[in-house]
Amino acid sequence: MRPFALKCKVNGLDMEREIPSSRSLLDFIREDLGLKGTKEGCGEGECGACLVLLDGKAVNSCLMMAVQLHGKELVTIEGLKGKDGGLHPLQKTFMEEGAVQCGFCTPGLIVASEALLRRKPDATLEDIKQELTGNLCRCTGYEKVLSAVEKARDERNA
Amino acid sequence: MPEFIAKPASLKELWKQLPSLPASRRYLAGGTDLVTADNAGAETSECWVDIGDLPELNGVRETSSAVFIGSAVKVSELERSAPVRKWCPVLLAAVPHFASPSLRNMATLGGNAANASPCADGVCALVAEDACVSLALGGKRRRLPLKDLFSGPKRTALKKDELILGFEVPKRPHTGAYLKLGPRARFGISKAAVALAAELSGRRLTRAAVALGSVAPVPLYAARTSEWLAGRTLSAETAAAAASLVMSEVSPITDARSEAAYRREMCGVLLSRALESLAA
Repeated sequence: MRPFALKCKVNGLDMEREIPSSRSLLDFIREDLGLKGTKEGCGEGECGACLVLLDGKAVNSCLMMAVQLHGKELVTIEGLKGKDGGLHPLQKTFMEEGAVQCGFCTPGLIVASEALLRRKPDATLEDIKQELTGNLCRCTGYEKVLSAVEKARDERNA
Repeated sequence: MPEFIAKPASLKELWKQLPSLPASRRYLAGGTDLVTADNAGAETSECWVDIGDLPELNGVRETSSAVFIGSAVKVSELERSAPVRKWCPVLLAAVPHFASPSLRNMATLGGNAANASPCADGVCALVAEDACVSLALGGKRRRLPLKDLFSGPKRTALKKDELILGFEVPKRPHTGAYLKLGPRARFGISKAAVALAAELSGRRLTRAAVALGSVAPVPLYAARTSEWLAGRTLSAETAAAAASLVMSEVSPITDARSEAAYRREMCGVLLSRALESLAA
């Protein structure tokens, strides 16, 4: 196994590290960096539990290699914070709206929603539904999730 | 997983590095197909060559006669590209049907073509757009109609190490539609898909191109239906006749996703809906 000299930015910090070429981005995040907020659900890109932001865009870290992070900026759920360094507005509205039950899908849903609101601050309910087509939740249903994203959008635009 | 991933910084560096890499090697673009195949044990190359960030394969350029879409352009970038919005209406219409938003941020059109699945939404749309594919192997370049790239399910005319540089869509004012039937409205693999490109003069079709997904061993260009449609006037009769013709051109199979007879029927339904959408 030949190592790869990875240079990237993770949650705002510059990083240089030798990694095995065969490392998936998800394993790099969870095992090498110890950032356990990003989850592995299906491992096939279907469920969205592993979503992270790569250069500001949501990607499925289970289907990427860590090598593909080279020269880019990664933000995981741990890197999403409010202005005061506390909870991110989406984390707050997810709690307020009861959009979390077991919580396994939550980091992915918040990452996908954040990507959408950055790109489209005035996203409609339909836009939100479309954006979350790749995120599966098996306990709460989706209504509360949609309310939470709409609430965060409204607060952001207020 | 591969023993080694090479990441050349340019095309020139790629051709220089290739001879020193293990013989068992494959290109890695977005990874959505390759990593999935690897996880399933179906991909066993010793070495992957990451071409996703090669500058020569990225970006959309416009020439006087064509729009060139780099093979490593992410599917989600297509929606934000002015030349694609202006000149590639079928491709643009296919984007929301392509996997999920996050997979569209990773997947590339080059990977969609190299993977050569008969259900590839991006490829089907590009075939209807009359795209040519531009290929390179070292200093050698060649160009062929995209519909001729495919020789069977997951099989292409690509030579070892031959690289897809991008796709050229001729700049011709046209309209189009992309209709897909899957298990749900979004984020599913199609049972059948129809891509239609059409040049219209009033209600008369001066030129038409029909391509279909998931209903043949390859992303299928429906030559007979396309030729028959040229010169016809949009009407319920035209739609019905085209539907029955296209049903005779496809060769669907029964598999986990659908049944052959249903798929064949749906090709007719989808094409006639696509034609109706032009008339509307």
